[in-house]
Amino acid sequence: MINLAQKDIAHTFGKFIVTAMGVGMLLGIVLIMIGVYRGMIVDAEVLLDDLNVDLWVVQENTLGPFAEASRIHEDLKNTLRVIDGVDKTAALTFQNIQLPSKFKQVRVVAVGFDPFGTINPINPERIVAGRGVIRSHYEMVVSDKVGFKLKDKIPLGRNIYTVVGVTHGTVSSGGDPLVYISLKDAQELQFLYSNSRIRNDRARGLSGGDSHMVNSIVVTLHKGYSIDKVADDIKRWKHKSVYTREEQKTILTKNLIERASKQIGLFTAILVVVSTIIIALIIYTMTLEKMKEISIMKLIGIPNSIIIKMIVQETLLLGFLAFIFGNMFSHLIYTKFPKRVVLEIPDAWMLFLVVIIASILSSFIGVKKAISADPAAAIGG
Amino acid sequence: MSSKQSIKVENLVKHFGSGDNLVRVIEGADFQVDKGELVALIAPSGAGKTTLLMMIGCVEEPTSGRIWLGDDKVYDNKWLTRETRKIRREKIGFIFQAHYLIPFLNVIENVTLVPQTNGVSKKDSEAKAKELLEYFDIGNKARAMPSELSGGQNQRVAIARALANSPEIILADEPTAALDLARSVDVVKMLKKIAIEQDVAVIMVTHDEAMLPLCDRILKIENKKVVSSDVPKDIHIL
Ligand SMILES: Nc1ncnc2c1ncn2[C@@H]1O[C@H](COP(=O)(O)OP(=O)(O)O)[C@@H](O)[C@H]1O
Ligand SMILES: [Mg+2]
Repeated sequence: MINLAQKDIAHTFGKFIVTAMGVGMLLGIVLIMIGVYRGMIVDAEVLLDDLNVDLWVVQENTLGPFAEASRIHEDLKNTLRVIDGVDKTAALTFQNIQLPSKFKQVRVVAVGFDPFGTINPINPERIVAGRGVIRSHYEMVVSDKVGFKLKDKIPLGRNIYTVVGVTHGTVSSGGDPLVYISLKDAQELQFLYSNSRIRNDRARGLSGGDSHMVNSIVVTLHKGYSIDKVADDIKRWKHKSVYTREEQKTILTKNLIERASKQIGLFTAILVVVSTIIIALIIYTMTLEKMKEISIMKLIGIPNSIIIKMIVQETLLLGFLAFIFGNMFSHLIYTKFPKRVVLEIPDAWMLFLVVIIASILSSFIGVKKAISADPAAAIGG
Repeated sequence: MSSKQSIKVENLVKHFGSGDNLVRVIEGADFQVDKGELVALIAPSGAGKTTLLMMIGCVEEPTSGRIWLGDDKVYDNKWLTRETRKIRREKIGFIFQAHYLIPFLNVIENVTLVPQTNGVSKKDSEAKAKELLEYFDIGNKARAMPSELSGGQNQRVAIARALANSPEIILADEPTAALDLARSVDVVKMLKKIAIEQDVAVIMVTHDEAMLPLCDRILKIENKKVVSSDVPKDIHIL
């Protein structure tokens, strides 16, 4: 049997391909949107995974350094060590800073840690040039996205920092690049006031700010201890909020990027609906353009089943081609996005399913129109 | 029912619209056409020739009456089958003033579409189509698209398509209206030849009196009824 869909498409091949490309771009954007969401989740977990600690100890009744301000005393890291089960502890600071770069300022998140401590937040696998922070002052390790090279000098606060290492793929939960500095430098930046402020405060009778504060203490445990049990002990004895790594992950992915992901989800849903409507409209117009031929076919006795098959096949092929183009398009452009875009194959399959369902629904509209074609209309002028 | 008879119509009525817009086109037509007969259908424009042809062709539903095609009664105040399209593709060949070929199918695909729908194999249907195209002198155009052919060539393809399913009945609505005299005579002679050789009943609507002597009989729509008459013997052409 002659395949009518194939013949019809071959007859208007260029138009069909261009149409499929257009829909494909729309689907490509859908894939990118999903990729942006996946990227956010990956970004949110980079720091957690690099640190690889069991517990996060933060200011009581706060959700921790990534969600809200948390201040605790640095020396808590020593007192925590006496708790049964605790192996290593480290004090960390996290702060947003603007790095002066050649053209404009870059927003980064600075991680402060003790270079002589036992927990190092810099994953050595991520270092692509230079080394980690090993001195207690004025060294900085930057993420490659920040745009600095080894040995670059960066004025910050009262001092000038030297880039000693470059990492790749290190971002904060918000997607900003990470830089690493020593805890002392970080405390100075975050908690030490300027000279004039200190003088001003003294004149008001206030004592200077306490710079021996940090945002969080991270804890690893000896093998064989229950994470929950140790977390409870710390909560009870130290009156701090304690989160396990999983809880911290949940805070990051659920609480922090939930809104953003809902935003993206809604966007994606709208795009999918728009794509469906566009496919439906295209199929409807393609059918309208063929009404005369469909009438003739009915007149000479071609059954509906063959006409319906033609329309459904054309719609499915359009959806399929658009899906292929969408994947090509998204893979061509996803690296150009400033934030991480993660294209995952299961997401593509999900979209494939959606596109096929959308195509089938769309073809109903064309089919309905075709069924209504009047064979007598073929000769009616 | 005699085995010679191919089309029989009894008390056929066709109205369009209703109420104030009621148009009475046919009011009780009775006639029959035998196998091997080429019958001309003539009447002024708007008299209902196309409508009558479309009712016989199971395209337009009559208002009332009875229609037999071959040995089968197909209409008795209602269609007696739900699949009128099956009757069309198996029993009837349609030819119109315009060729009405499917533009996205090439010549041979246009000709073989109906036979292949009827279950004839691609090989057999193409063999028969090639034969028909050769017969119409367009055998070398089998792979051409309709847009690449002249009007006369397309009309011949359309006639080949009407014959491809070996119909019992050919319904031709002004098939020669777009052709010059010589070609018109060719087409009508060919329809006559097909009628005889393949024992087909042909009804041909025409406005061209010059074609009448080539036909076996004339059906006229007069006063919304169909009357039969012999062909005029006094007009001689070619
Ligand atoms: N679908 C229709 N609705 C209403 N009136 C129609 C319709 N089709 C045909 N007619 C009317 O029926 C009459 C016969 O039309 P037609 O069979 O096309 O005439 P002919 O082919 O003899 O020129 C005309 O008056 C025409 O206006
Ligand atoms: Mg007419």
